[in-house]
Amino acid sequence: MNLSIKQLFGRKPKSSNIAKQRLKLVITQDRVDVDDRFMTRLHHELAEVLAKYFEFSANSVKMNLKQEGNSYILVADFPYTKFHDMSMRR
Amino acid sequence: MGKVIVVTSGKGGVGKTTSTANLGTALALLGKSVVLVDADVGLRNLDIVMGLESRVVYTSMDVIEKQCELNKALVRDRRVDGLMLLAASQKNNKDDMQPEQMKAICDKLRTTYDFTLVDSPAGIERGFRNASAGADEAIVVTTPDVSAIRDADRIIGLLQNVEIEPINLVINRFSPQLVGNGSMMDQADVLDILNIDLIGVVPEDSAVITSTNRGIPLVYEDGSPGAQAYMRIARRLTGQRIPIPDLEQKGLFSNILNWFTKKR
Ligand SMILES: Nc1ncnc2c1ncn2[C@@H]1O[C@H](COP(=O)(O)OP(=O)(O)O)[C@@H](O)[C@H]1O
Ligand SMILES: [Mg+2]
Repeated sequence: MNLSIKQLFGRKPKSSNIAKQRLKLVITQDRVDVDDRFMTRLHHELAEVLAKYFEFSANSVKMNLKQEGNSYILVADFPYTKFHDMSMRR
Repeated sequence: MGKVIVVTSGKGGVGKTTSTANLGTALALLGKSVVLVDADVGLRNLDIVMGLESRVVYTSMDVIEKQCELNKALVRDRRVDGLMLLAASQKNNKDDMQPEQMKAICDKLRTTYDFTLVDSPAGIERGFRNASAGADEAIVVTTPDVSAIRDADRIIGLLQNVEIEPINLVINRFSPQLVGNGSMMDQADVLDILNIDLIGVVPEDSAVITSTNRGIPLVYEDGSPGAQAYMRIARRLTGQRIPIPDLEQKGLFSNILNWFTKKR
């Protein structure tokens, strides 16, 4: 709980605060939806890192953002075919 | 070389035309040479808000179709020196104009006038692309409500994609009373969400409506809170550094609570 004296004395939660919270959430989603370039870049950068450890085909990768309650979750599926055993490389 | 500034918003009815008319008039009152361009083809309004509707002969469409020279299509506002209007055609629609054609008009106006203000239609489609095609800078107008702010964010993204910079925010129809009782977001809330530079806050002001009825921009009669806000924004556009006053009005109770809950 994060109640301030202000909220305790206030009659109900201020609708301006509710507006701000809702906007922040929806705008996060809008920005990602609209900006394909952002998702593409993230996709490339993640793939670059993961390729050090796994083998996967680039077109099997799925990435999206989903909403759960008050937050967004980035879900990335990288189905891999092989795990590079780093210890073997040394 | 002057500046071309597009006045835009995403959502309709938030005050783009009102802001274009008042900022343009205010800049002329400050001694700048100004052209106001109505880019709302098919739904023209800037001429009537300016009170110049009876003097419009040619429109930007006539210029594009080479029916008349650009200079001849400009309507001179006789109430102040250096203020012109280029009206939009009412019988055409937004697809009759190409972004490059609007850009060519802006490029010419830029060489002669200190400020070219382009009043954008609502939306993110062709009308917006036409209006922003020739712009160096943008003024995004929003009201402090969820749908206007969401649309403003979308427009800001589109402006950033085409590298229009700076993008300055005007918060319009701000109500100190509603902010005071917690039912309207304050300027810090809006800025926190949109994350661009604020150039001014225009209060809700009934004088806006009476001045529109008469076709006399608010800024001619200095004194109303709206007129003062627009004059300050115009001064900022000319590069003067003047502070943005805090319009918030807090009740006594809220002030006492604020005092107790202030971060220490
Ligand atoms: N600060 C304000 N106070 C009161 N009414 C306003 C204010 N700004 C705009 N309005 C009114 O809101 C309506 C829409 O304004 P307008 O400038 O035509 O918006 P837009 O061009 O964005 O569609 C008009 O009736 C106008 O008089
Ligand atoms: Mg308008």
